[in-house]
Amino acid sequence: MAMKRASASAFRALASSGNSNSSILTRELHASPGSKKIVGVFYKANEYAAMNPNFLGCVERALGIGDWLESQGHQYIVTDDKEGPVCGKYIDTKVYSVYMILELEKHISDLHVLVTTAFHPAYVTAERIKKAKNLQLVLTAGIGSDHVDLKAAAAAGLTVAEVTGSNVVSVAEDELMRILILIRNFLPGYHQVIKGDWNVAAIAHRAYDLEGKTVGTVGAGRIGRLLLQRLKPFNCNLLYHDRIKMDPELENQIGAKFEEDLDVMLPKWMFDKERIAKLKKGVLIVNNARGAIMDTQAVVDACCSGHIAGYSGDVWYPQPAPKDHPWRYMPNQAMTPHISGTTIDAQLRHAAGVKDMLDRYFKGEEFPPQNYIVKEGELASQYR
Amino acid sequence: MAMKRAAASAVRAFASSGNSNSSILIRELHGPPVVEEMRLGGGTCNCWYVVWVLMFLCKQTSPGSKKIVGVFYKANEYAAMNPNFLGCVERALGIGDWLKSQGHQYIVTDDKEGPDCELEKHISDLHVLITTPFHPAYVTAERIKKAKNLQLLLTAGIGSDHVDLKAAAAAGLTVAEVTGSNVVSVAEDELMRVLILTRNFLPGYHQVIKGDWNVAAIAHRAYDLEGKTVGTVGAGRIGRLLLQRLKPFNCHLLYHDRIKMDLELENQIGAKFEEDLDVMLPKCDIIVINTPLTEKTKGMFNKERIAKLKKGVLIVNNARGAIMDTQAVVDACSSGHIAGYSGDVWNPQPAPKDHPWRYMPNQAMTPHISGTTIDAQLRYAAGVKDMLDRYFKGEEFPPQHYIVKEGELASQYR
Repeated sequence: MAMKRASASAFRALASSGNSNSSILTRELHASPGSKKIVGVFYKANEYAAMNPNFLGCVERALGIGDWLESQGHQYIVTDDKEGPVCGKYIDTKVYSVYMILELEKHISDLHVLVTTAFHPAYVTAERIKKAKNLQLVLTAGIGSDHVDLKAAAAAGLTVAEVTGSNVVSVAEDELMRILILIRNFLPGYHQVIKGDWNVAAIAHRAYDLEGKTVGTVGAGRIGRLLLQRLKPFNCNLLYHDRIKMDPELENQIGAKFEEDLDVMLPKWMFDKERIAKLKKGVLIVNNARGAIMDTQAVVDACCSGHIAGYSGDVWYPQPAPKDHPWRYMPNQAMTPHISGTTIDAQLRHAAGVKDMLDRYFKGEEFPPQNYIVKEGELASQYR
Repeated sequence: MAMKRAAASAVRAFASSGNSNSSILIRELHGPPVVEEMRLGGGTCNCWYVVWVLMFLCKQTSPGSKKIVGVFYKANEYAAMNPNFLGCVERALGIGDWLKSQGHQYIVTDDKEGPDCELEKHISDLHVLITTPFHPAYVTAERIKKAKNLQLLLTAGIGSDHVDLKAAAAAGLTVAEVTGSNVVSVAEDELMRVLILTRNFLPGYHQVIKGDWNVAAIAHRAYDLEGKTVGTVGAGRIGRLLLQRLKPFNCHLLYHDRIKMDLELENQIGAKFEEDLDVMLPKCDIIVINTPLTEKTKGMFNKERIAKLKKGVLIVNNARGAIMDTQAVVDACSSGHIAGYSGDVWNPQPAPKDHPWRYMPNQAMTPHISGTTIDAQLRYAAGVKDMLDRYFKGEEFPPQHYIVKEGELASQYR
């Protein structure tokens, strides 16, 4: 950020020297002095926006930073409209009619900052990055920046950052909830209730306590560790696999055992047909990480056969999941849309984190180091 | 149990004396004079006279042989799916062979309602009745009167409120349950429900199966559990296990109970004692019910008490349905005063098809299942077997298992 800092102070020097009409055009600073064009893509709330003043993550409230940005002299445009030419496929300009020009695409070419959210992700493709001549900073209001072509971003000298830590508790809680929902066989019971039925046996024949079961987390970073901590009083047999082993003190405190070679691991973090076949018959899987980690059809097949006795998560590929996504209709599923990290509490944290990073950006200051996903051409270690 | 022991040894003495046709039937808490006479023994004449009288009065055919009836839920095709599925009528706790080998008669049924049901057919001569809260056989004063041979009521599980305990006490019956067999199961289940309600899981699930995707419709009232105030009404075995499991979530934990925990345990668990229930309740974002159903707790959550709760409160009740006023809960869920209600207990059970809790908004109900996971079934089957074994031998039960003993109710039911 040194260059940015330097140019910012040069800028300020210029502005104060009375030469307000000069336009210093560096890659970092365009348009009017200090004023930035910030575009945010969030999900629409419609009638739900009014129901809760703390509901900051929707486009109607746009993180609650609109007034602040305007008071700082910046331009803030928000939209829920994110799908342009899909996934880098070009629409022939000859048939490119006006009503197809989607909101985000309108602003791509001159925005400085793009704020996106994993819950309604604007796919920042290499194509879009090319078009975005003024783009300097891509912020994720939340966690998970895989909807950005990080390599292209790095090559273009962009900074990509997210609000690391803002959702970790939310997602860990949500994962534990799903573990319990699957192992205690909650949903069949609920279905009976709303259908007017009562058949204890139809649930109980495969409902279990969590106590004493073997639970393995694939990845024990921030979220994985918080999950393990919340699992501890349940007296399970806890295993974890990660690139990095925890230090022994933490391991003892958490009570989890390191598995260096997750046998069905996964040099590529993919749960495909072969890997699923090696899992215990009747295994339960919780995936709040990313849908694309799983082979969609392999999961469907295994849930149908019962090899997977329960699959629960809030992530899909793609998102939003289309109406006919097979995971909606397969047996043994306890899915939801992508919501675990967008509780009201998490939204408050995202909003505060984005505001803080924008503030530092305007001032030419560094972000909290753990927030960087792409910086000065380098990807954060977990994405390499 | 001294009398029982005496009787049992008397029986064995008789049996070993070669008189295998004698049938001594001691109604445990009745007929002490008979037992005493036998023990102190006037001589063979007296004893034989007693035996002869008893043979007249009793219907048993073999020494010590008991008639045990068990009422369990039917599994149909699900029974075959899991050999550990012991709680259904098809497996009947897995103790059939053992009871038979001991020379007892074991009759099992799921048919418990109405004057012509299977249970009614055996009421008059059964010695032991095993029931389960998941498909409860209501042991009314009426039935107790008819059950002339009945000595022992065992609950395969926890919660004996389906038995008229006062009538049982007056009739000199012993009532016992497998205390502790479900505590972990129910505590886990309660925590699951706390999360389901707080995180607004079900609307998301509904969207999925309907083909929808509307994050806002869920997120506008989805919260983390962290930092919320959770109060448990009752902090006995289950309440404490729940609090322990809540601890890493970093909530504000409150508990109300007749008895305050000792300080060390309180600190370890991290929960604060609330002496006055009505002071605690309005503080709570989430309330979990962990009391048995007694005369004191029946209907305790009525319209008035619910109105004093925080608007948008979440309630988890895996205790007993009748602790709540059914209609008051419906009204509050409909108005949104209760933003979420989840539990596995109803009044009555099974819940009829038109029970209003099925169709009210903001509910996350299931049938009565939390304490009948496979793991819990294994525990309560073992516990019932153990108590039957002790009963046959005239031995005491683990003290915490008694609900009614020698005319007295256990303290939580008084």
